[in-house]
Amino acid sequence: MKQEIVALKKVSKIFPLEIGGEQQVLFDISFTINSGEFVAIMGPSGSGKSTCMNIIGALDTANSGIYELYGKDITTMTDDELAVVRNEYIGFVFQNFNLLSKRNILDNVMLPLMYRGISVDDRNRRAREMLDLVGLKNFETYLPTQLSGGMKQRVAIARALSGNPKLILADEPTGSLDSKMGNEILRFFEKLNKDMGITIIMITHEFEIARYARRVIHIYDGHITFDGPVPKDETTLLKSEHKYKK
Amino acid sequence: MTLGDILKESWLSISGNKLRSFLTVLGIIIGVMAVVIMVAVGETVQKSITDQFSSLGTNTIVVRAGAARSRGVRMGNRQTLTITDAQQIRQLPDVSSITPAQSSSVQAIYGNKNWSTMLLGTYPDYTAIQDIEMDMGSFFDMNAVKNASTYAVIGPDTARELGLPDNPVGETIRIQHMPFVVLGVMKARGDSAFGSQDDMIIIPITTLKKRLQGSKFPDAVTMIALKIYQDADNAVVTDQISTLLRQRHRLKDDDEDDFQITDMKQIMETMDTVTGYLKLLLIAIAAVSLLVGSIGIMNMMLVSVVERTREIGVRKAVGAKEKVIIIQFLSESVLISFIGSMIGLILGVGLSQGVGRFILHYNVPFSIWPVVLSVSVAVIVGLASGVMPAIKAAKLNPIDSLRYE
Repeated sequence: MKQEIVALKKVSKIFPLEIGGEQQVLFDISFTINSGEFVAIMGPSGSGKSTCMNIIGALDTANSGIYELYGKDITTMTDDELAVVRNEYIGFVFQNFNLLSKRNILDNVMLPLMYRGISVDDRNRRAREMLDLVGLKNFETYLPTQLSGGMKQRVAIARALSGNPKLILADEPTGSLDSKMGNEILRFFEKLNKDMGITIIMITHEFEIARYARRVIHIYDGHITFDGPVPKDETTLLKSEHKYKK
Repeated sequence: MTLGDILKESWLSISGNKLRSFLTVLGIIIGVMAVVIMVAVGETVQKSITDQFSSLGTNTIVVRAGAARSRGVRMGNRQTLTITDAQQIRQLPDVSSITPAQSSSVQAIYGNKNWSTMLLGTYPDYTAIQDIEMDMGSFFDMNAVKNASTYAVIGPDTARELGLPDNPVGETIRIQHMPFVVLGVMKARGDSAFGSQDDMIIIPITTLKKRLQGSKFPDAVTMIALKIYQDADNAVVTDQISTLLRQRHRLKDDDEDDFQITDMKQIMETMDTVTGYLKLLLIAIAAVSLLVGSIGIMNMMLVSVVERTREIGVRKAVGAKEKVIIIQFLSESVLISFIGSMIGLILGVGLSQGVGRFILHYNVPFSIWPVVLSVSVAVIVGLASGVMPAIKAAKLNPIDSLRYE
């Protein structure tokens, strides 16, 4: 049975500007994402998709509206409570990998487990399992600087999976990779979603990448213009922007 | 996050930038080393002074003669203390031993060798007051004093310089052309606050006054030294001596004392206070370098926070709470400070003990409190210098941190 993982209800986000005044980047956004979905949040630069991702990832909070993660309203949580939510529910995969360069691969993968207070033995076992899953079984003692971009991203995926999260949040996961390695990572996401039922939300501005998902939420100028199965071509998405174009 | 995790994370961060960490640790090493060495220097000075005064005994009181005065007018150079004064003071109940004493510089001759040394005229009680032990022979007795005998007791250095035989007892030396029979040789004692006691000749006070000096005032002496019983109160005895001497010297109420009483206990207490302040001063100077070292740690940690902004963002993104980030940064600064303190302690103790023993040939006292100080410094300096950077790191916004280039 599908379970509601992410539920945004009329979420708005306003940023104060350094030069004074403020700018609203999200306008009453609402959508839900259920367990087992593979969703691409698409939109051009400045559309608000990164802000949306930050809110979903509990890195930021909305100014108004409600955000429920796995049935829990996290809108009014403190920074430390949000840290616990991120640790227990979300696995991040960033565009530039964000691995700790002076820690070996195993330490990087174990990082979320360390903050969860899991014993060293259990951490080791779980991290090794994840490295095995992403095909980096024999690279435990390597430093990130000794790996290729694709391998680094696989380490980041192993780290994201190590905490057994409800949700993988991937922010432009192929942005720093060549197309071959990018496709390899995307196929891996597909596999994780199909075979293991892991919920994946991927932020991208490229339609070709979004095609790996099964659902697209298109954001333009802080509004959702499209939410549905991935269309055959990008035209549908571009047409949906018309309503909010000035 | 366990203590092991915290230490591992801290160590990896510190060892990740070896040169910078080494230079930061160096500041603490120098600071702690300076403090430890200064403590050792201060304690050595204090111990040395205390030892020298202790060798005289805190129950020793010395009365020195002043010039005779009448109605505030100095009456020539006549010495005011007399052997009779000493005999009267001896009657006080708390006085255990007493000697009048007078010294002068003389030339002693043995065979064809001569040697300038100090000549001291005393009573036999001088041995009790100065804790003198004999190496050979014996000290003269009161009969020798009564008879103004020409007996001499000499220090080991004097015996060597005069070229006396290994056992000089019974040999005759000449002091200002007068023959003296060597009655005994004192044991070597080393230098004291009042000069070397190993290079002196002691003869009966009467012999010095009557025979050698041919003084017009054979009863007058420059000094009276006495020892009081251990349970006696120095202040009380000092008062009693003062009252007695004022009566004997017929001083009026408004006359100043024509003598000076020096209480060794009081001197030692004063010296102890002075050396205590000296020690504090030395430590304060050394503490400045420690302060500079701690500023070095804070500087390094602040730079580290900026450099590791993205790392902090990643840690926060995967679930690190603010408290955990603070603990991590604080533990790094404490670890740096701890490593520096321990190395500084080892070097400081090693240098002070090594230089003391092998170069100065002095037994430098080792006290536990530099160790306690070092550990305290490690924790306090580490925490103090790490608090600001740690809070700065913990308050970083994860989104901005992750975007930091």
